[in-house]
Amino acid sequence: MKLPAFYLLDAMSKNVYEPYARHFAPFVLGLFLETYQQVDQATRSKMEEMLLTWRTASPTGKELFGVIQQLAIERGIWGSDSNSTGGVSGQISKAQVLSELEFTLSQKERALQANAWDTTAQKHVQILQQLRKLVEAGVSQDELRQILSQLRSLSQSPQPATAAAPSYPASSTPSVNSYQYPAQPSYPRQAAQSIFPPPVPQPPPSTTYTSYPLPSNNQPKAEPVDPASLLSSVKSTGAPPTDIAGLYSALLKAGIVHATGTPAGAGAATASEDTAIASSMSSENLSRDAARAYRKSVLSQNIKLTNVDITKKRPNINHLLYDRLPAQCKQCGVRFTDDTLGKKEMEDHLDMHFRQNRKASQNIGRGHSRSWFVDLQDWVHGGRVDVKGKGRADGPRSTNNKATLAAEAAQRDAELRTQFIVVPPGDEAKPISCPICKETLKTEFLEDDEEWVWKNAVRKDDKIYHATCHAEAMSSMHTLATRLRQDMSSRSRSGTPDSLRATPPKSMPVIRPSLSPSPDSKRATLKRKANDDDYNVPSSVKVESNGTPPMKKLALAA
Amino acid sequence: MSDSLQHLDGTQLDTKEWVLEAETEYRFELDPGSSLAIKLAHGQAEVFGAELAEGKTYLFGAECKAAVFTWQGCTLEISRPSTEYVSEETPMAAYANVHIAFEQMRVRALRILHGSPASDDDPNANAEPPRVLVLGPENSGKTTVCKILTNYAVRAGQNWSPTLVNVDPSEGGWAVPGAISAAPIRSPIATASPANPLGSAATSAPTALSSNALIPLSYWYGHAETKKNPLLLDRLIRNLGENIGERDDNDPEGRVSGVIVDTPSSFASSSGTAPDNRHTLIKACVDAFRINVILVVGHEKLNVEMQRLFGSRFTVVKIPKSGGVVELDHSYRERVRNYQLHTYMYGQKIDPPPDVTSAMVGGEADIDLILSPSSCIIKFGELAIYRIGAESLAPSSALPIGAARTLSEMQPVLVDPASSSSGLLNSILALLAPFNPDESERYDEEILDLNVIGFLVVTNIDAPHRKMTILAPNQGSLAGKTALLGSFDWQE
Repeated sequence: MKLPAFYLLDAMSKNVYEPYARHFAPFVLGLFLETYQQVDQATRSKMEEMLLTWRTASPTGKELFGVIQQLAIERGIWGSDSNSTGGVSGQISKAQVLSELEFTLSQKERALQANAWDTTAQKHVQILQQLRKLVEAGVSQDELRQILSQLRSLSQSPQPATAAAPSYPASSTPSVNSYQYPAQPSYPRQAAQSIFPPPVPQPPPSTTYTSYPLPSNNQPKAEPVDPASLLSSVKSTGAPPTDIAGLYSALLKAGIVHATGTPAGAGAATASEDTAIASSMSSENLSRDAARAYRKSVLSQNIKLTNVDITKKRPNINHLLYDRLPAQCKQCGVRFTDDTLGKKEMEDHLDMHFRQNRKASQNIGRGHSRSWFVDLQDWVHGGRVDVKGKGRADGPRSTNNKATLAAEAAQRDAELRTQFIVVPPGDEAKPISCPICKETLKTEFLEDDEEWVWKNAVRKDDKIYHATCHAEAMSSMHTLATRLRQDMSSRSRSGTPDSLRATPPKSMPVIRPSLSPSPDSKRATLKRKANDDDYNVPSSVKVESNGTPPMKKLALAA
Repeated sequence: MSDSLQHLDGTQLDTKEWVLEAETEYRFELDPGSSLAIKLAHGQAEVFGAELAEGKTYLFGAECKAAVFTWQGCTLEISRPSTEYVSEETPMAAYANVHIAFEQMRVRALRILHGSPASDDDPNANAEPPRVLVLGPENSGKTTVCKILTNYAVRAGQNWSPTLVNVDPSEGGWAVPGAISAAPIRSPIATASPANPLGSAATSAPTALSSNALIPLSYWYGHAETKKNPLLLDRLIRNLGENIGERDDNDPEGRVSGVIVDTPSSFASSSGTAPDNRHTLIKACVDAFRINVILVVGHEKLNVEMQRLFGSRFTVVKIPKSGGVVELDHSYRERVRNYQLHTYMYGQKIDPPPDVTSAMVGGEADIDLILSPSSCIIKFGELAIYRIGAESLAPSSALPIGAARTLSEMQPVLVDPASSSSGLLNSILALLAPFNPDESERYDEEILDLNVIGFLVVTNIDAPHRKMTILAPNQGSLAGKTALLGSFDWQE
């Protein structure tokens, strides 16, 4: 509950800025820190991410609420975290660096997702991941400072791809359990045996991370590592670790960076997506190979479709249906090959059973009924909803729903757009703008009625709005009002009961993109708006695609 | 081989253990009201091509007549045996050979699609995917052959999704009797009762097997007999084929899996229907589904006939009929229709034998197969009901001189629910998809070409208030507000 309220504050301040940011500035420090103390880890990390975006979020590229507030909040969060190594106040804490590192890393990863062939981004991601391991292992104050400054310059470098990045995969709900650390890099030991070149600390490939910056007090404490020993170990590679470039080159020389072909330290969601991209080629090859092998074995059976062959020959069916497919699902008897591809398919299949069982257990006591058959067009274009095929428990229906929802939205949108208001005589030349999106309303001459009209317009309380903007605002009004009320009550009474606790992960896909530099995204919105006049983009799709929560438009209107 | 266990309270626990040799099958026939539980203790076994999982108990009911076949031998534990025996003579080897031949066609078609080199192949071989018409007389096991061939295809692990087509209106496929339909199959079709011999159409319940949540395309013919309105059936078959073709164009990989068409026995029997009618309908199928293989199940004469008709264009093969096929009488078919309608509306419930606690029905946990239809009262005006063709035609001689007949077999006639002779009460209606939203695309007989989205039963007619009660499968709106009447009735 708190996080969405913060995101609202965030969106209002970033997108409108004046006068909200000014009004929020006085209490944002107290509010942020107080909330930070109360919420759980996942929310904290989200808040940290948001905080980092505030650094450059004002229209002039400065701190959103002013440098003083920003620093105070940052100090309040990371400075007071005395558990972490070197967490003496005034100094840079490991947690802070880690948090920023994660932030930059996720930025880069998103850029990478948007453009998988961006080798610079790829390199950055790898380096950052290695860097994170180093920092986790513990580094000196000096290095922390260098890393930090380097990071900031890196994260502020222009990132056009980020704004256009696709919405985050829905599967990225943080699962805290999956946050595992690789085995502690064996630096101290290396230091002791520094006559040998240090072995490459290859992370175990199975290690998975969530892509969320987890604050340090949730991390298994790194074994006490003397930074000096690390330093010496790094030194033993020959490169002086005094500058960050040197550190990079040290990493490179140590073979860490290039040795890991697939970034093992990527976030769980990112990793799966990355590997999906990276291995799409190889999995395609695998399935091609499998198909080829199958073709060979089928064609090697010498059977013609003739009465004699059919009745007289002995079929080698056991091989095709059983021996070739030794792995069997215990639940339903479906079989798979035992090669990589088959294992993958079987995993997917078992996942399907799991989901289906869970759904069934949730559904107990709820009545079911036969569905209508699908529309002809849906049937004809149904194609292969699920390529893996085995058991699409909800596949076809949900896509249909999506299709119908999208169609409905499109229809509603089209209807809205046909609304118009006749321009009062004499006002034809007067530009009128929609109070919500600030765009001018287009005038058009209707041949049939022989009148000038404002297209896509609706009149409410003597004001003329874009019909689409108004409908959107009305639909989000209700939810927003509720949120505001909750926000108010939680602010007025500091000891807020737990019932207001957030369950934030679900809101990820919408909120993530607000991390992008705000002025850009605002411009993107306006541009999109302009485009809307040309295409009929369903409003829901529109909102998702530019990543702006619907509340933003209302905020603009308020 | 059998060992009956004595329960503590003295009742007999009818559990038998059967050890099957390789390539034999255990056949059973259930009486009305009884059920059967089969557990695969060890080994490998399949029911009409769908493999059983070891250690799971499968339920069969509703007078199911089926067989558990094993290629390599197995041990079955069977509770509540009914009519049962083990047969060593099965046509499975022949069916398997047919399957392998079809697989060769599929992999060749896929190779062409992917443009892979043809090094391992006979260049003259047929590179079209198998599009198979299965013909045979009554009680020859056509539907079972279709099911086995489909199941083997989806079990190959090649992501095949053959389109299974049912043009036998007395069977109805995934819909109810009176319909003809097609559905792509992606997972093995389990057998549990004759109510859904080809798998089950989608419900709101989650299912493990996609063959229990099929998405059929269905057209309403409305009668069990093909001779009742062959013109209409011809047109519906062509509609079905055209849409399958369009779907294949959208999904070239799916097209490679081929089509398997189950036909009514009237296509094969020379008695009753005029051969012209029969040939017209077979030709309609051949054209509509671009058939390139005809399988004739156990009928020498028909095989020769088809050879003569089509042998020059494509392959016609005779395959043996299974000795396990049961002669089904009229009253049995009548009961099966009732099971089907009941299953469409209320889902499937098979009471397990008393000593069986947890079991699967058609590959699903049995609890989720119960459905709740929705009964509602609507005004006469809320649903336009048509009948295709006049019920009875006055002889031409009775018409005034010079007047042409105004009603044809294909003409939609509006049914007035208020009229006592409407025959609506208890009848099954096929709810049609909405008309084309684009007025300019409409045409006179569009109603003949609309697909079915579901079925309704008129359970009460209140003529004075111009209202009627209908049973619908779900609470959704009656989308197109247009329904077709056939000649099927149903009373619970």
